[in-house]
Amino acid sequence: MVDLARVQKELQECNRDVQVSGIRVSPKADCITHLIGSIPGPLGTPYEGGVFNIDITLPDGYPFEPPKMRFVTKVWHPNISSQSGAICLDILKDQWSPALTLKTALLSVQALLSAPEPDDPQDAVVAQQYLKDYQTFVGTARYWTEAFAKASSLGIDEKVQKLVEMGFPEDIVRSTLEAVGGDENLALEKLCSA
Amino acid sequence: MTFYGHCFRQSNRQSPIFALELAEPKFMSSDSFLGVNLAGTMSKKRVLCKFFAHGACLKGEHCEYSHDWKDPSNNICTFYQKGACAYGSRCRYEHVKVYQSQSSASSSSKTYPSQYTCSDSIHAARPPGPVLGTVGHVLGVSSEAPVINRSFLPSGEPAWAENSGHGGIPEFSGIGESRSLNPADHPICSFAAAGNCPRGEMCPHIHGDMCPICGKHCLHPFRPQEREDHMKTCFQRQKHLEALKHSQEIECSVCLERVLSKPTAAERKFGILSECDHPFCISCIRNWRSSSSSAGMDVNSAVRACPICRKLSYFVIPSVIWYANKDEKEEIVDSYKAKLRSIDCKHFDFGNGSCPFGTSCFYKHTVKPGSSLWDSTLMPDLYGSRILDVDEAESSSDEENRDVLRELFKHYRPRLPIGVEADDSSSEDLDVDDALAPFLMLGALDMSDLSGEDNVM
Repeated sequence: MVDLARVQKELQECNRDVQVSGIRVSPKADCITHLIGSIPGPLGTPYEGGVFNIDITLPDGYPFEPPKMRFVTKVWHPNISSQSGAICLDILKDQWSPALTLKTALLSVQALLSAPEPDDPQDAVVAQQYLKDYQTFVGTARYWTEAFAKASSLGIDEKVQKLVEMGFPEDIVRSTLEAVGGDENLALEKLCSA
Repeated sequence: MTFYGHCFRQSNRQSPIFALELAEPKFMSSDSFLGVNLAGTMSKKRVLCKFFAHGACLKGEHCEYSHDWKDPSNNICTFYQKGACAYGSRCRYEHVKVYQSQSSASSSSKTYPSQYTCSDSIHAARPPGPVLGTVGHVLGVSSEAPVINRSFLPSGEPAWAENSGHGGIPEFSGIGESRSLNPADHPICSFAAAGNCPRGEMCPHIHGDMCPICGKHCLHPFRPQEREDHMKTCFQRQKHLEALKHSQEIECSVCLERVLSKPTAAERKFGILSECDHPFCISCIRNWRSSSSSAGMDVNSAVRACPICRKLSYFVIPSVIWYANKDEKEEIVDSYKAKLRSIDCKHFDFGNGSCPFGTSCFYKHTVKPGSSLWDSTLMPDLYGSRILDVDEAESSSDEENRDVLRELFKHYRPRLPIGVEADDSSSEDLDVDDALAPFLMLGALDMSDLSGEDNVM
């Protein structure tokens, strides 16, 4: 069973110094085991200026099992799948410790953005590019940040507007956006596949 | 009345009934002394009801004990008389030695054991001067009618009767005599020891010296051993309380709660890691260490490591207090290990099971005769060379083990293994000590090596 008291404490703690860390965690819906976290792209990296949303699912064993984290914002990074958003980070797998919190885990993910490990890649294509053609990698990463990580900082109404203009009915757009945690790209994907 | 007192001293041995009648003409007829039961109820009526004293006697008027504040209370600690009062000088009840009263009781007549001693002690107790008072002293005392009434208490209650000589009416009897004999035999005032004696200077008891630690007047001036014991326990308690106070603030890094503020008592314990100094509550750290590999975590590198510093620890020590320094930690660890050593290992099961921790197990491994290990390995060796080695190498600490084992196996007669000639004389020679030798060796092996696997998860 998830330690709900601890999760509540973590959320309070995290939201207290959100101005300093820039890391936000909030429940996705009523259920506290599904959360959405967001981290700002680290300065001096191609991800600077973007805000990256991460989908967090707490397993039953939390905090004795690591939380499941996945990027919902598309990222061009050797250790993050450009397709699924899966993160390759040891502390989210076998090196998890119950003394880590959602905030510290997100900080680690943020650190991963500024220090890629191309030798232990999650996305082989990106890793290849990083090793062989670093300039192109930086360009692509920056382009993806501009295209996906900044758009998501739009207000919800603007996102709805944008999708409605594409020809989807407004009520469906709103519910889909809500379901994916406000990410317009994911909502578009979902709307198209529906 | 003055005459009665004198009479007591002269004649009580020969005619106790006469003396009694004189003393208590109103309450007791001579008839009442012929019926034991009647005497019993009478005496009970004269002892102040414990419950009444606290305003909580449910029996009311039907209570067999007195509900009159004038009557004295039976304030003798029966645990002390049995030799085991845990409160020592802090006990709220009188610590009266049983042998004193028995000796004096035996000197009195058998039928009314308390009469002689009671009356005698009145004389002895009241006068501040010489114990064996002159007639003048006796007269002075005896003229106080209530003194006689209060102290004259034949009783049907065994504990009471036993002690009526010296401790039965502690306020008035016993004091003079015991003070004159040896002040150490006299109990200190329990009211003063508890904080406040309403009688102050008038109190007939010794008021204890003030304990510098707890601030109570509970140090017996004439019992150095008891003083020392009290100071020691008081100091330890003080230390414990301080440690507890420091521990209050400490949070578990896993559940993020204060360990000592958890809802249930079982959770309000720290789990101390052997190799580092990071605080966790016992349930969190045990939960983490027992979390299976389902999450894909490596048992040796992740799960057994401290969640904070990732230093590997092989065992966790439960403790209600958090330590302030290395020595305190060592003390906690040592006392924990000592406690485990006295508990039989359930895996080992007296030789029937197998303990995964083997010789590094913290628990006690004893082999019982008839267990599978006993049958398979130890019996043949009884006649082998190992016995001699063990016997020679036996240390003094094994003596204790040997005694325990001898006690355990005193009805055991060693069986001879198949193939060994059952020679009568040889089996006579084989005494219990020899039969026990392998166990002693086994014990020595088990206890000597305590490092290794984590068996206290």
